[in-house]
Amino acid sequence: MAENPYAKLQALVVDDFESFRITLSKMLQNFGVGMVDSAASSNEAMRCCTAKVYDIILCDQNLGKGKTGQQILEVLRHQPNLNSDSLFVLVSAESNKNIIMAAYDYEPDAYLTKPITGQTLGQRLERLFKQRLALAPIYNAIKEKAFETAVSLCETEIASGSRYTSPCLKILGKLLLQLGELEKAEDLYRQILEVRQLDWAMLGMAQVKKLQGDSLSAQQWLEEIIQFNPLCLKAYDLLADIMAERGDSQGQQKVLQQATEISPLSILRQQQLGDVALKNNELMLSANSFRKAVKLGENSCHDDVVFHEKFSRSAIEFSKTDKNAATQALRDALKIAAEIPNRFGKTNKNKINSYLLESQLHAVSGEDRRSAEALLNAQKLMDADDVANDLDLKIEFVKALRETGNTDKANKIVSELLSEYADNEEDLQKIDCLLEEPCSTKNKAFVAQINKDGIAYYDAKDFSRAIDCFTSALQSLPQHIGMRLNLVQALLGQFKKEPGNRQLITNMQFLIDYIRKIIPDDHVQFRRFRQLEDVLRGIASEKPVS
Amino acid sequence: MSDNIKNNSDTISADHKMHQESQEVSFSFVLASSVHDMKNSLGMLINTLADVMSKYPPQNQEHAKSYSILEYEAARINSELVQLLSLYRLDHDNVRVHIDEVIVVDILSEQIARNFELLQSRNIELMLECDEDLIGYFDSDLVGGVVNNIIVNCARYSKQKLKISAQKTIEGLCISIEDDGPGYPDDMLNASTFAESRTNFAGGRPHLGLLFANKVSQMHKDKSRQGFIRLSNLSDLGGGSFKLFLP
Repeated sequence: MAENPYAKLQALVVDDFESFRITLSKMLQNFGVGMVDSAASSNEAMRCCTAKVYDIILCDQNLGKGKTGQQILEVLRHQPNLNSDSLFVLVSAESNKNIIMAAYDYEPDAYLTKPITGQTLGQRLERLFKQRLALAPIYNAIKEKAFETAVSLCETEIASGSRYTSPCLKILGKLLLQLGELEKAEDLYRQILEVRQLDWAMLGMAQVKKLQGDSLSAQQWLEEIIQFNPLCLKAYDLLADIMAERGDSQGQQKVLQQATEISPLSILRQQQLGDVALKNNELMLSANSFRKAVKLGENSCHDDVVFHEKFSRSAIEFSKTDKNAATQALRDALKIAAEIPNRFGKTNKNKINSYLLESQLHAVSGEDRRSAEALLNAQKLMDADDVANDLDLKIEFVKALRETGNTDKANKIVSELLSEYADNEEDLQKIDCLLEEPCSTKNKAFVAQINKDGIAYYDAKDFSRAIDCFTSALQSLPQHIGMRLNLVQALLGQFKKEPGNRQLITNMQFLIDYIRKIIPDDHVQFRRFRQLEDVLRGIASEKPVS
Repeated sequence: MSDNIKNNSDTISADHKMHQESQEVSFSFVLASSVHDMKNSLGMLINTLADVMSKYPPQNQEHAKSYSILEYEAARINSELVQLLSLYRLDHDNVRVHIDEVIVVDILSEQIARNFELLQSRNIELMLECDEDLIGYFDSDLVGGVVNNIIVNCARYSKQKLKISAQKTIEGLCISIEDDGPGYPDDMLNASTFAESRTNFAGGRPHLGLLFANKVSQMHKDKSRQGFIRLSNLSDLGGGSFKLFLP
């Protein structure tokens, strides 16, 4: 008998259908694969992968409950583990692989469409192992961080006209970018693009341009890719990064929205969209994105408690602008907040955090008794534990106190925090969200600038820009009464331009109601507040222009 | 804040519109989903059949013939379902070509491997003529699907020989599939567009495969050039000749 090249191989087959598992295992054994394990669920598969090194994993995409095949791959590639280098073959009944691949950042080594015949599988395995063997020196060099060696190995392989030229070109481009050899990378991508407009080369070119500081050219390349291949999500990601670098958070939001419409299953993009929408004060969008991110987190290695908290935060803010529309978001946020200790460990910190969020969510829903109860539970734990020194928890505590009407106590803690953290700029920046006037150097400058910009727009009667300015500043400094009054005044200006727009009145009413809750009688701006309140009352009682 | 609320109402109306649309497309959507389900079941059926055939090899000519019919019809249903799904997607703009550099012989042998048992059971000798290093720029899923359909179709009509070849030509990369069967009927050769011939349901042959091949070829564009297909009965083997040209 000829020597069997597969005799020493270890393989894992993952599929929730027994018949598929048996068929695939049998096929592998027929090729002479020495050892074949099988798993019926994603949990079982993960257990196998932590116990043993496999040369190859054949995994179905749709595994019923739990992780999908792609999510298993994500874990294996994202975190260091026994199987981070294993060949991974994704199996699915879906004949168009781009639809499945679009959602994720890690590509499997091969993709097979069901039904799989013995011949197809045999041929594909042979090709995979041959390629792996041929490119092994390159991958080893990369693994040992010998990037220069990897570059010259790629160049030799390409110069020899090998059948692996295409994968080598892709690897080489990435290596050059990583090494900062931008000119070389640009030459490489240009040569490829002269022959054919391939999207990975266009993407590489966009990366070169971005790193060279030419964000406009990078943007043009990316927009061309998207037009040509709207499923190329990496192009959206890069474009969103460019927008973020420019400080164009509206543009960033738009790009992320497009990307999440194409591929709603990508948790990282939902998290980012939630963040940027919150920054832009698009609260419904923000709450929806965080809700999706939390849901996707159930089966993803990218889940983080931070996003569970942010979901509550955006739901709370959302309910302050539109209570009716936010009802569902509040209800969901409550559920999510209550589950934090179960999901992230029953530490005191998680428990306290969970109670504090619940307390605020109940408060904005008008459930005063429940809100007070949750606050009490949080306080009990805080008194008993030294986690009470955690600044993030204390900030959350102050917010909860305020939502439940314990203003005096809240203010007392705030002044304690200010003296305790007086020397730490970073901590002060965090505390700023509780203050009317910021205390950190950075935020002081920020408020001064944005106020100046907003007022300049206001004076130029460009009210909608002024509104944008004040709105975005209020996101980081929600307690700033002066800024809030400025916003009311800008809205009033806009209302004079379009007197039929009742929505503006509603918005102003929300703002005034908000201020009424936090403004003390002796505040310097109290008179201005009262005047605006009167003006608004006058407008609101007028008959709508028909 | 005004922007926020204004946009919110936009979102709701957009959702609303989507909802209405989804009711309109619901029938074709339901159809597409059930096609997907059928394809899954069929996959199981094909695997089980292959199992049975290897466990109980045919004892006589009659057995062998039954097996080959079972196999052929299952493969045909499968490729028709795949085509239906693909056409649904093409129509709903869910599919774009994803062009990458590919080694042509890999794609061709993949499709041959897929149909290995079918060809074997029908005693069809297959010849593959393709340079090992020949490179093409195309969407390997879509083109693979086209090649598979034609192979399945040829398996039915060819007597004993099937030739698959690929080479570079002035008109672009050319993938040809030739057989020694009776050749393509006149109405197919004469149809100026394949959309026309599709309407010929009465004849029992909607030519779904050619419609799909035509669409896929046209989706491949480079600069001013576009892919196309050419049907003829000018095969070296004496039967039909299908050629797919890709820029």
